Amino acid sequence: MATTTTKTETFVGKRVRRREDPRLITGTATYVEDIQMPGMHYAVILRSPHAAARIRSIKAKQAEAAPGVVCVFTGKDTKGVGVVPCGIAMPDLRVPQHNILATDRVYFVGHPVAVVVARDRYLARDAAELIEVDYDILPAVADPEKALTKGAPAVHPQWPDNIAFTYHQDGGNVDKVFAEADVVVKQRIVSQRLVPMAMETRGVVAEWRGADRQLNLYTSTQIPHLVRTLVAGMLGLEENRTRVIAPEVGGGFGSKLNVYAEEALMGFVSMRIQKPVKWIESRRENFTCTTHGRGHVDYYEIAAKRDGTILGIKLKLIQDVGAYHQLLTPLIPQLSVLMMPGLYNTQNIRADIVGVFTNCVPTDAYRGAGRPEATHGIERMVDILAAELKMDPAQIRLKNFVTKDKFPYATATGLMYDSGDYAAPLKKALDLVGYVKLRQEQADLRKQGKYMGIGISTYGEICAIGPSPATPAGGWESATVKIEPSGKITILTGACPHGQGEETTFAQIAADELGVGLDDILVTRGDTAVVQYGIGTFGSRATAVGGTALYYALQDLKAKIKKFGAMLLESDDVTLVGGQVVCDKTGKAKPLREIAGASYRALKLPPNTEPGLIATRFWEPPNFTFPFGAHIVVTDIDSETGQIKVRRYVAVDDCGNILNPLIVDGQVHGGVAQGLGQALWEQAVYDDNGQLITGELTDYALPRAHLMPWIESHHTCTPSPVNPLGVKGVGEAGTIGCSPAVVNSAVDALSPLGVRHIDMPLTPEKIWKLLAKKN
Amino acid sequence: MKISGSYTLPVAPERAYQILQDPAILARAMPGCESLEKIGPDEYRMKMKVLLAALSGEFEGKMRIADQAPPTSFRLIVEGSGRIGFLKGDGLLKLAPAATVRVLSAAPSEPPETIVSYEGDAQVGGTMAAVGQRLIDGTSKMMIKKFFDKLASLATDQRDS
Repeated sequence: MATTTTKTETFVGKRVRRREDPRLITGTATYVEDIQMPGMHYAVILRSPHAAARIRSIKAKQAEAAPGVVCVFTGKDTKGVGVVPCGIAMPDLRVPQHNILATDRVYFVGHPVAVVVARDRYLARDAAELIEVDYDILPAVADPEKALTKGAPAVHPQWPDNIAFTYHQDGGNVDKVFAEADVVVKQRIVSQRLVPMAMETRGVVAEWRGADRQLNLYTSTQIPHLVRTLVAGMLGLEENRTRVIAPEVGGGFGSKLNVYAEEALMGFVSMRIQKPVKWIESRRENFTCTTHGRGHVDYYEIAAKRDGTILGIKLKLIQDVGAYHQLLTPLIPQLSVLMMPGLYNTQNIRADIVGVFTNCVPTDAYRGAGRPEATHGIERMVDILAAELKMDPAQIRLKNFVTKDKFPYATATGLMYDSGDYAAPLKKALDLVGYVKLRQEQADLRKQGKYMGIGISTYGEICAIGPSPATPAGGWESATVKIEPSGKITILTGACPHGQGEETTFAQIAADELGVGLDDILVTRGDTAVVQYGIGTFGSRATAVGGTALYYALQDLKAKIKKFGAMLLESDDVTLVGGQVVCDKTGKAKPLREIAGASYRALKLPPNTEPGLIATRFWEPPNFTFPFGAHIVVTDIDSETGQIKVRRYVAVDDCGNILNPLIVDGQVHGGVAQGLGQALWEQAVYDDNGQLITGELTDYALPRAHLMPWIESHHTCTPSPVNPLGVKGVGEAGTIGCSPAVVNSAVDALSPLGVRHIDMPLTPEKIWKLLAKKN
Repeated sequence: MKISGSYTLPVAPERAYQILQDPAILARAMPGCESLEKIGPDEYRMKMKVLLAALSGEFEGKMRIADQAPPTSFRLIVEGSGRIGFLKGDGLLKLAPAATVRVLSAAPSEPPETIVSYEGDAQVGGTMAAVGQRLIDGTSKMMIKKFFDKLASLATDQRDS
């Protein structure tokens, strides 16, 4: 072996600072709102103030004549545009026709009714107020359980029972184990409606280039390619003449994993006026028109033996659908059912889902999408069972975990858990928090009449979504790696990020594989005219699926680099190391830059080898990945105000191999913040008439910085066998692990008062009332 | 939202009943009222400006009077909409002489009084509901009080004149 100077610094596994951050924290990133074009016009959408009404007439003459207004379009004008798509197919799914503008009826507050286009956004807004819509107001229903009762107003008159879909899953022998069980515990558990609240609201710029017959659509989305396919279809355009660009995306959390009416509507407007047009969603619109998350009422039953062994789980799940199905609406509760056994070894499960239409904005994916609801349910139930049996909540979990020798583990819901050691994070978290000592402290405080609680949640999740047969669109992901003639490297990923840090992690992967520095690499995404078809970023999939596609593209490229290196070095025994190809015998080396140049110059080519250094891979995952972890929350409750204070937050997450601990910490922090939001503060409330009464940040309690506890983020590492990187995904872990730990902690604190369950959010008012009632 | 309450007007029921349906007086008494015109029997069109915390906007709507039983009761149906949302209300107003309780103590020259009690249902929607929900209750109470205060002073003015 010869020796040469090689670059030995590696990046994977290190706390590499995010390369996207400088432009984000200096305010120089380009969002949809930052796009300016000559001749640009602005659109304002008039929306229904009623949850249910017939439209008798729309008079737009005055608005059309207002200063600066170019035109007004209503549902009559857009009848030729295809419907807003639902991407889920299932038996007996009722799909109401979802036009991009209301035609004869409105179904929820915020339903788009007309669009005003003007040369100035303020003029457009003023003109929108001049449109006269004559509504015949109809009774509305906003509560899914009320919607199921006889005589409730029908959201869609053709379906008076308001049932949007049903879904049943059965595994094992539920009736038998429930009949034989020593104990059965039951509880109704609500997972309330939430507003995803991306910092950047939605926005669209549409630019129709008539001469080229091409539509350029800039939109704040998590899935640019799917938007291209679907919006092109809605507008009757050719897909190869429709270009979708997701510039910087300021958060999505699932709310931008969708195809919205406004995306097609702006395309329609631009084609009509032959000018570019911009629409930026206001925060108030965001509250009422962008999909909400959660919206479950769950009825759980768990059967167990007296020693705490869980025998079976039953779940009746009522999903608040809203007025329409958005892209994935009916899928979300199915993900809950898939995840309903949690980390526990039981093969007896039964789930009945009923999706219910209400006169509200549709629900769809929100950070965790179905899995936080499922985890909240099972983790609350296990605590209720432990209380019933007077068992320690940690012990009952350790007793029921799928043990680490059982992997891969087939669940009764049809999943194959890839790898796991569920006791490890729980034991670590118990150690870190000082569990035994805390229980002693709790006993002492109780004697003093003080309320302190210790809440445990051990969660599992379905990540790296997912094998194509198990997903509504493809579940694969794509990557292209180009080494330019100068040796600089460009990565094109189909997994369009919106805050996940792929520009850093993907560069880390490529830098280590090729032995180059991070500054030699550019990660590009989000433009369908530049990037090969991709699926997008959601379901904690970008690194596990998109990163794997990148990994394999890099392997292809490495083989080709070695071929060129071998040719140039005139030796078959070569190694690619430290950014150069080295001859094992002579120690002579050719740097990547020289090899790249030679591959494009192509004076000479290796046998059966094409010029250039470009590789593209589409990777189809053979399975999901299944991260897991344990979160422990210590709370103190103020007995006079009902205020819950989180004293300790210990998170031990196992997401497989960690490529960048800094980014993983960031994901855990953000996830926990949103989990705490649901557990303690947030709730989208509709009144009986379908009016959203939490329509602004003064009424919708989003977590603020000063409310956040210090999060002690730790890990165990059980690599995934599903992909060569051994990664599992961590984008949603914090949210999924958080809410049950917080509620379990509060219930634990109040258990001396006989409190067994509290529904979220745990507002001071709610807690204070419990304290007042019992004292 | 349920609305209920009562107010004592310093006039006899017959007079109270009359001024509660007099467009000219109502227009002056209603806070923010910009115009009120009769468009049919017992039906009025009105324009008013509403202020709700940071929200303000003009409302255009209709007011209808039904189930008239002078001088003891009538039903008021209001419907309006504007930039900041819409408003729908339906309420029953009952008028009763206040003198009965005072008959013994009151001097014979005591002016007559009428207790107006109201009970109804109001629906608020749009931005007003989404943004101002917590303020609607207080604001509506304040507006009703302002209305009756003004009505009382107008009634007295007219009586004196």
